[in-house]
Amino acid sequence: MIRALGVPLLRQIGLICAIVIAVFLLIRVVPGDVVDVMATEGDMTAAEVAELRAELGLDRPVPEQLALWLTRMAQGDLGMSLRFERPVAQMIEYAIPTTLALAAKSLAIGLLLGVGIASAATIWPRGPAAWLVDFVNLWSIAIPTFCVGLAAILVFAIGLGWMKVLGNGFVPAIVIGIDIAGQIVKPLHEELKEASAAPYVRAAKARGESPARIVLAHLLPNAAPVAIALSGLILAGLIGGTLTMEVLFGLPGLGTLALQAIQGRDYPVIQAAILLFAVAIILVNAATDLLQRLLDPRLRR
Amino acid sequence: MQASFAAAKPFALRAEIVAYAILGAVALLALTGPTLTGLDPMTQSVAGSHSGPTTVHWLGRDHLGRDIFTRLAVGARLTMLVALASTATAILLGAALGLLAVVAGRWAEWPVFGAFDLVRAMPSILLAMTLLVALGPGVPSVTLAIGIAFAPIFAYIARAAWMRETTAGYVAAANVMGSPPLTTLVWHIAPNILGAIVTQAAIVIPRAITTESVLSFFGIGVAPGTPTWGRMIADAVKYVERAPLAALVPVLALSMVTLAFALLGDKLRLRWDPLRKGTSP
Repeated sequence: MIRALGVPLLRQIGLICAIVIAVFLLIRVVPGDVVDVMATEGDMTAAEVAELRAELGLDRPVPEQLALWLTRMAQGDLGMSLRFERPVAQMIEYAIPTTLALAAKSLAIGLLLGVGIASAATIWPRGPAAWLVDFVNLWSIAIPTFCVGLAAILVFAIGLGWMKVLGNGFVPAIVIGIDIAGQIVKPLHEELKEASAAPYVRAAKARGESPARIVLAHLLPNAAPVAIALSGLILAGLIGGTLTMEVLFGLPGLGTLALQAIQGRDYPVIQAAILLFAVAIILVNAATDLLQRLLDPRLRR
Repeated sequence: MQASFAAAKPFALRAEIVAYAILGAVALLALTGPTLTGLDPMTQSVAGSHSGPTTVHWLGRDHLGRDIFTRLAVGARLTMLVALASTATAILLGAALGLLAVVAGRWAEWPVFGAFDLVRAMPSILLAMTLLVALGPGVPSVTLAIGIAFAPIFAYIARAAWMRETTAGYVAAANVMGSPPLTTLVWHIAPNILGAIVTQAAIVIPRAITTESVLSFFGIGVAPGTPTWGRMIADAVKYVERAPLAALVPVLALSMVTLAFALLGDKLRLRWDPLRKGTSP
């Protein structure tokens, strides 16, 4: 068990290190650094530019910068933002709650919708829910979330004048939630449909259990591993969704922070944001693996 | 069972017709381009800004007085170009490089797939954003960035398909007959895994379109004024109260094309998936 979990985990940690170093090098091979960006914004003499670059450590060779950054990071110091003269850790700390709240709301809505529609379609195969499976699925594939978000802003803020509706963060969560539901509803429904041919379902039917009870008490718990296997899709939807919705709705989360840092060439912030996303992805992958092993005894050996 | 089969078929057929109709219309729009209206997509007119549909300007004009229909047509060309070229890049980088590495042996497979693992561990939109910082804005760099972001999908699919096919009898037969590994790959295995690649391409193309539009919307994709649909949306958003059509038209076009590819991808998946062959969807 320890070996089965430890080796992939080591590999994942290696991946994180590789990503961090790759991103560090990638954004430094680009011509034009943060000082250039700042110089085009305000009038700076060549001497001031050189001085600022020396102060920020950008005049040193790239390997030296990398070594310095890695040593500091090992000590838990993410550095200072080059543009805002604030500790990166503080900026990230400020941004995390917004992103986490949006992600949690979106996840709850997405799972509720996805599992709900898939179950309803299995209980009543000829009802409207069966049609909803295809509709939500096509919706999430066909319409980019930022278009839906835009439409929501148009309808609520401009059409109806309900500015408050947009402020509480539920509209973007619903937009992302529908997107996530659309991605998981079809595989989940197929799994439930396939599983309803299993002998234990026939036994339950013979005992006179209602279709609703069969789906909720027997089929859904058995489909849990499938739902967990879909977590990669869910996570991709969550990250892409929160990123675009934050920017679109002007929420001060990690997505907005990352985009602003990328536009302003604020290296330490970009690196920290990407590191955080990579760690989140890898943690979720590891947790998925563990949960799958715990839920499915066949994988435990 | 019989009833559901009969009910499923007309829908599948209708969906297919809708998909082909949309893609045909977009292809026509992209091919004819601005010649259909005879107007210039870049010509600005302060007096004509935000004006509604007329017989000359079929869908009205945007905030700079540019003809929306003409920009939509030019945008169809650019949007589809970026989508197809980036998917082709992804296939070339992913499937071709991945297969070559697998055939070459472990010493090549390890670093190549290590790199793909690296790319896959980052959200595609964030990766494309970072790459665009390195590559700078513009149509070629957007194409390359999206191509790199979607390359791992093709690499893993190609490797899985390759591993499945190598155990097949025809590959053993080719090996016994003394066919070199690369020849076996190109002449025997590649045609057999083409289905999986094509199906995945139909899934990736709409995602490439969406990614391009999001990048352009964020202002780090193609340059302002370049009429891809994403850029048109981004440019029109600020003036949406006065000229809703300028934003609505590209949004609808974008959604219809992604919908068409989604329907097509679903159909292809059913056709190429040997386990589902001959069964109703």
